Amino acid sequence: MTPEASRPPTRGEASSAVAAVRLEGLVKRFGDAGTGAGAGTGAGDTSGSASADTVLAVAGIDLDIADGEFFSMLGPSGSGKTTTLRMIAGFELPTAGRILLHGEDVTDRPPFERDVNTVFQDYALFPHMSVADNVAYGLVVRKVPGPERQARVADALRMVRLEGYDRRRPGQLSGGQRQRVALARALVNRPRVLLLDEPLGALDLKLREEMQIELKAIQQAVGITFVYVTHDQQEALTMSDRLAVFNRGRIEQVGTPADVYERPATRFVAGFVGTSNLLSGETARAIVGGSGTFTVRPEKIRLAEPDSQPAPDEASAMGTIREVVYLGPDTRYIVALDAGGELVVTQQNIATSSMEALSAKGRTVRLTWKRQHNLPVGEE
Amino acid sequence: MSTPTDARAGPGTRPGIARRLAIWLHPRQGLQLRLLLAGPLGWLAIAYLGALAILLLNAFWEKDAFTGRVEPFAWTLNAFRDLFGHEVYRTVAVRTLIMAVLVTLTDALLAFPIAYYMARIATPRVRAMLVIAVLMPLWAAYLVKVYAWRTILQGNGFMEWALSPFGVESPGLDEIANSWLVLSYLWLPYMILPIYAGLERIPNSLLEASADLGAKAGATFRRVILPLVFPAFVAGSIFTFSLTLGDYITPDLVSDAKFIGNVIYDNSSLGNLPLAAAYSLLPIGIMTVYLLIARRLGAFDSL
Amino acid sequence: MGKRSRLAALAAVAIIAAACQSGATPKPTPDLPKEIGAGEGALNLVIWAGYAERGEVYPEFDWVTGFEKDTGCKVATTNMTDSNNGVSLIQSGAYDGISASGDATTRLIAGGYAAPVNTALFKNYANVFAGMKDLKHNTVDGVNYGVPHGRGPNLLAYNSDVITTPPTSWDSVWEDGSMYQGKISIYDSSIYIADAALHLMTKQPDLKITNPYQLNQAQFDAAIALLEKQKANGANYWGSYSDQVSQYASGDVVTGTTWQFQVNLLQAEGAPIAAVLPDEGSTGWSDTWMIAKDAKNPNCMYMWMDHMMSAEANGQATVFFGEAPTSQQACDYAETISPGHCALTNATNEAYYDKIWYWSTPQADCADADAATTCKDQDAWVAAWTALRGG
Repeated sequence: MTPEASRPPTRGEASSAVAAVRLEGLVKRFGDAGTGAGAGTGAGDTSGSASADTVLAVAGIDLDIADGEFFSMLGPSGSGKTTTLRMIAGFELPTAGRILLHGEDVTDRPPFERDVNTVFQDYALFPHMSVADNVAYGLVVRKVPGPERQARVADALRMVRLEGYDRRRPGQLSGGQRQRVALARALVNRPRVLLLDEPLGALDLKLREEMQIELKAIQQAVGITFVYVTHDQQEALTMSDRLAVFNRGRIEQVGTPADVYERPATRFVAGFVGTSNLLSGETARAIVGGSGTFTVRPEKIRLAEPDSQPAPDEASAMGTIREVVYLGPDTRYIVALDAGGELVVTQQNIATSSMEALSAKGRTVRLTWKRQHNLPVGEE
Repeated sequence: MSTPTDARAGPGTRPGIARRLAIWLHPRQGLQLRLLLAGPLGWLAIAYLGALAILLLNAFWEKDAFTGRVEPFAWTLNAFRDLFGHEVYRTVAVRTLIMAVLVTLTDALLAFPIAYYMARIATPRVRAMLVIAVLMPLWAAYLVKVYAWRTILQGNGFMEWALSPFGVESPGLDEIANSWLVLSYLWLPYMILPIYAGLERIPNSLLEASADLGAKAGATFRRVILPLVFPAFVAGSIFTFSLTLGDYITPDLVSDAKFIGNVIYDNSSLGNLPLAAAYSLLPIGIMTVYLLIARRLGAFDSL
Repeated sequence: MGKRSRLAALAAVAIIAAACQSGATPKPTPDLPKEIGAGEGALNLVIWAGYAERGEVYPEFDWVTGFEKDTGCKVATTNMTDSNNGVSLIQSGAYDGISASGDATTRLIAGGYAAPVNTALFKNYANVFAGMKDLKHNTVDGVNYGVPHGRGPNLLAYNSDVITTPPTSWDSVWEDGSMYQGKISIYDSSIYIADAALHLMTKQPDLKITNPYQLNQAQFDAAIALLEKQKANGANYWGSYSDQVSQYASGDVVTGTTWQFQVNLLQAEGAPIAAVLPDEGSTGWSDTWMIAKDAKNPNCMYMWMDHMMSAEANGQATVFFGEAPTSQQACDYAETISPGHCALTNATNEAYYDKIWYWSTPQADCADADAATTCKDQDAWVAAWTALRGG
């Protein structure tokens, strides 16, 4: 039931080539007693035969990631995105299914036999080694000769803008600097696929935004396939060429950021990517005039005077402002609809002061939006 | 209006003496600390350092050969002359030192796989059971364990029964190897626990990162695990080394070869306290050097 | 750790003891007590194992319980492993008295650790054999420093299952030691060097050893060389009687030097162990109950010394340990529990005891008046023994 899991990548150039990463029917169940025994149970039954102490972390995933793509795996914690990444890296063995890297089956291979490298959430820098030794580690264990090794380490440190830090220990670096070392340590091996497990999760907001831009720039410079795990939808939308939305061990939708944001395939995607402004049942019939479930993005809705008339191409609903949240550049209004349900509305504070915005609480308003922004949402 | 029984003494009443003292002490935190530590530090100074000082002094006091009377403050180097004059004291010191090193190495080799299994492989339940199993022998009295080994090693003991089918004779209670065996057994928990703690502190992601970067198990062990757990080895070795260096009961009970501790004990119980005191300065000196080296190696961060 | 603090404690005790006893040299006219006062309620003794039984090994051997009941003196005991250890314990100042052998008595007297006793206060003293009174190891210038407890030789024990003909010489632990490789049981004390010297008196007369406790350098070296050979034959050294009993019982040893006491215990357990006094004689001991100079319970100690000369107590104790009683009355009592005991232990046979060299202290002046001779002193013996055992 995974919709369009193997939809061809949007970047046309990769469509004919072999996928950088291909996942086929990937299943991971934790707490399984023996290996191989009964591993073939269908990916479908999450609740069925599984005994109390086994957890179905990944419940059947099919996915193609194209060469050179910046691909994000987005989802809440426990949705299976990290487990999927760890199976690609080789830290976990799948209960069922196959993993192919550039057409090669690596399902049972140990991590050191896979042409991928990982940037860990906690960076996993070796505390007893200098920055240079950390970065050189992969080259040392693969017996790259000394002069070449030194040149590549210097290149990698230059790329992450850490020249002159090679003698330091990880403990003497800031969070952002450690993050860069981790990146350099992975990239220096020139893997064909780089796996990143929430690499910016531990950084503060400002640094995170800077690193997002930098990461994207590095990815474009080296042309390596990035598989990026995050729970931050904004991060996934800004950086990715394509992304997959994970929920309860499955992929709900795969697509470009615009696809996923503007045409959410499921109710979950609509809610997780952006704010869940869902209209369904009676409310939907009354306001949209059709059956089914619809979503309207908060920034598409306009607040108007109750007695104003909507344009012919606009949908409209009456309601009362229940809560006002002042966000600086924007203000978020939570409006209780007369027809039932709630809608969240965000308005840019172009000419509004915080006093004005906050005093709006309790007022009766008319909400209007273009009918084309009524997005139908697939049922689960 | 506050009454005299008001616990929170108001401005009108004079607070009790304890309370006034507490108020007076509050801004004087250095004094608080000194008062708090006065007891234990005083005890340490008198009972431990004081005893050590007397021991040191004893080494330089005269002893009458016939009556055994020690003359305090009758200064002499006789004890040291005896110590350097007889080869046996050198032999015993070297033997003890070699044994301490041997027991330490043995325990390190034995402890690592056990600690590794406990810290990184075992399920939480198995781990808890193993921790108990490692700690359990520490709850048993030292002597009970050594005597248990005596019954194993002596004639008609378990060892003889187990070895006789192979035509090997019982080791009896003479072999110096017995001391090595029993001391290694006795101090093993002291090596396992620091290594276990050291291994447990290594985040899993470091090992994954190593594998991810292309290192096989052997290289990961050599380049990541061993360097990170080395201070824990040194910490454990402080126990195994110093306990072996100071032990005299086990060597006495299971073998015939004397250790430094036996010579000290013999001489003190036979009345030659100056000689015992002079000799005991040797292990104190060795341990001081050892601890200084251990500190340089970062062992105290692992305790 | 434990050892260090223990040592330190010993050191502290030794200093205090030394400080308390400064100026303690025997006086020519000792100030002796005129009467035995009321008991103090307690008595702390340093003893040879088996010298103060309260029926714990065999119910019928109990000469402490009755004493405690009669005198109100509660008896506490500490076993010494050898005479050196006994001297060291008394020096600590924590004890009222000791059952000292001859090599300890002389040192305790010379060091001022033992007090002279007024034998007139003992009602049992008159019965003591004349040959056991005023012995030179416990009497100085006619002043008695204690009362006798009993005497006996160090014996040669053997496992009669292994050694079927009773041996008549010490050769089995010396020259023939290799026959019992690793199964020879030897007393772990520097005083055992005298046993080697005694053997050399017979085997190497050219060494001219006249007293196995006073050895010049050459004699001493020969004795040590003999002991080294014995060690090479895998000698087992016993420090406490219980060690030796368990070694014989387990079969780890089959022959060696022993006291009658261990033989009694082993025979009672049914072990095939017997003991003989070899033809060349033996070392031995004549034990004296001494009172410590600064005994906290002198009256109880006086009562104890008197008690230990009584027929019942001395009879029981000497039978239990396997040594010769000190009086005819004790002998008679001993016969009632162990017929033939007095004949077996040669209680009245002074000729027998002429063959016995009682333990005594090695002295630098050879314990004689000849200023030309020098001998290895006590410290040299202990150091040599440590070297032998530890090397």
